Amino acid sequence: MSANLSNVRHVRGFDVVKPLSIAVMIAIMLPLVLLPLASIFIFGTSNGFASFWNALTAPEAVFALKLSLVTSFWATIFNVLFGLFAAYVLSKYNFWGRNALIVTISLPTAIPTAVAGFALLLLWGPYGTLGRLLDPEGPQIMFTAFAIILANIFVTFPLAFGVIKPVFDTMSSSLEEASATMGATRWQTFWHVTLPSLRGAIVGGALLTFARSVGEFGSTILVSGNLSSRTQTAPLYIFAKFNEGQVEAANAIAIVLALFSFAIFSILFFARDWLEAE
Amino acid sequence: MTNSDDKFAARVLNISKKFGETTVLDNVTFNVSEGEIIVLLGASGSGKTTILRILAGLEAPDSGSIILHGKDVTNLPARMRGTGVIFQAYALFPKMNVEENIGYGLRLRKTAKSEIKKAVDRLIEMVDLQAHRKKRPSQLSGGQQQRVAIARALAYEPEVLLFDEPFGALDAQIRTTLRREIRALLKKINVPSIFITHDQEEALELGDRIAVLNAGRLEQIGTPFEVYNKPETEHVATFLGSANLLPGIIKDGKFTSNDISLEIDEENDLKEGQKVKLVFRPEDVFLRKPENLTQHYQKLADGEVEEVSFVGAFERVGVKLYLPEARHIIITRPKTETSAFPLSIGQQVPVGLVRFRILKITAELRIIPLDALSL
Repeated sequence: MSANLSNVRHVRGFDVVKPLSIAVMIAIMLPLVLLPLASIFIFGTSNGFASFWNALTAPEAVFALKLSLVTSFWATIFNVLFGLFAAYVLSKYNFWGRNALIVTISLPTAIPTAVAGFALLLLWGPYGTLGRLLDPEGPQIMFTAFAIILANIFVTFPLAFGVIKPVFDTMSSSLEEASATMGATRWQTFWHVTLPSLRGAIVGGALLTFARSVGEFGSTILVSGNLSSRTQTAPLYIFAKFNEGQVEAANAIAIVLALFSFAIFSILFFARDWLEAE
Repeated sequence: MTNSDDKFAARVLNISKKFGETTVLDNVTFNVSEGEIIVLLGASGSGKTTILRILAGLEAPDSGSIILHGKDVTNLPARMRGTGVIFQAYALFPKMNVEENIGYGLRLRKTAKSEIKKAVDRLIEMVDLQAHRKKRPSQLSGGQQQRVAIARALAYEPEVLLFDEPFGALDAQIRTTLRREIRALLKKINVPSIFITHDQEEALELGDRIAVLNAGRLEQIGTPFEVYNKPETEHVATFLGSANLLPGIIKDGKFTSNDISLEIDEENDLKEGQKVKLVFRPEDVFLRKPENLTQHYQKLADGEVEEVSFVGAFERVGVKLYLPEARHIIITRPKTETSAFPLSIGQQVPVGLVRFRILKITAELRIIPLDALSL
């Protein structure tokens, strides 16, 4: 029996299982992931490059892309700085309620993004808990670019923290102690010893946060008001144009976002090892 | 501060420390002279690491003080003490190369660039790492990393060098060569140093003096010769080398146990009727009639050879003493003895001593709490 089995598996020394399992894997991925992605590119170029370029450079489209990048940028800056700070505090000090705080920080990823947007509306909206205190004639928080930043911060809150904290945890405390005995203040130790070891994690966390922010839809559509050329981000633009039947306009931005995600992922994949080794 | 105290590079005065309910250090006092190497020897949980951390300012004592070159630094933070610590795993900064690691202490002190370069060059040459100056710590061997750690601590001319089990991470063979090299280096530059270790061989070879710690107490401090040959407590006798023990009492100024009676040569303050322990090293036992022996020989008892094993440089013999309660002792004999007087199992031999110690029995029982062992 066992002799028969090994005959099936090895046709004249050739392992059939290997190419077979790879083929099965790709066959599963094809309709689920690869074909949907491919169709964006096939459709986008079906009317020629000129019409793609026109759709992409429409003022509304350019605005939407810019708004996405700017709001994501600020959300990333905030979440990386906060994540670094929170990771430092939560790895270095042990205190009552520490684990509860770690769970709380990690919670926003588990909350549906529509719920996150809704929660922000309930807080800052015209009749919200804090929103009702705002002067109705004065500057508002909801339905502005600032609201988009808040929504981005909320949904990507734990990403940078989650990447940075494990590196902190595995860092030997004797490095910091060595630095202190050599005459360094806490700040000098952080700057010269701790931070260099975190470079890879910081860049990785920032890229993740940024990529996730750029793609954010569920919370943004609730808090932004989805006003064209005012509070419409790239994902909202895709949604709006598709609803209006302008599939080509929607598709141009979709291609850009897809390529963008692909680029960020490649950087994450290939550059992090290098950054960490440096 | 009197002048006589100023000659010490470092003083540990009445240091006590508790972690929760556990006493980690109990009134520890010792001095380190200029250029002296002191080895703190003790098992896990003896408190040796805590002393080192208190000296470096990484831990605060509950009471007592630390004096470095005549200055009380007990309340100064680590960064203002100027000690050089060589950590167990060296704690080299992974993102800095050898030069940058060594120059770090001077950069923190805002030393001029040209001065730093000069100092780093001198230190790199001293620890013989010229070929590796641009390498990262991860590209160096354990011994090289250790040399970087020492050079890094020496760069800012530390008050005292503190070594936390520095050979623990190295192979046995490298360990021996390295500790000889380091001792030679420290003697050349004459920096006062404190090592901590649990390895008795290391302590004997490295230290000008050895301080033996047991459950937070300093049991004895002295030269390797003193601590090995004149142990003051049973713990010191058994922790540093091996020892045979025999309980007895003092009678007519002699050690007495059953039929055994040994004259005590050393000056002592032993009282009549006091309970004591006889301690003797395996190599201080003589297993034949004392012909032409120059040392003072005293017969202990007759015995029977139970076991003979060859352990390289010497022979180990297990002997059962003919006493009312059977006593088994261990004896080591040098090659000259083993070839001139071979022994066989079952053979009857006279057992005599050429050197021994009498220890007073302290009534007190010492219990080491379990959680102190992991400290």
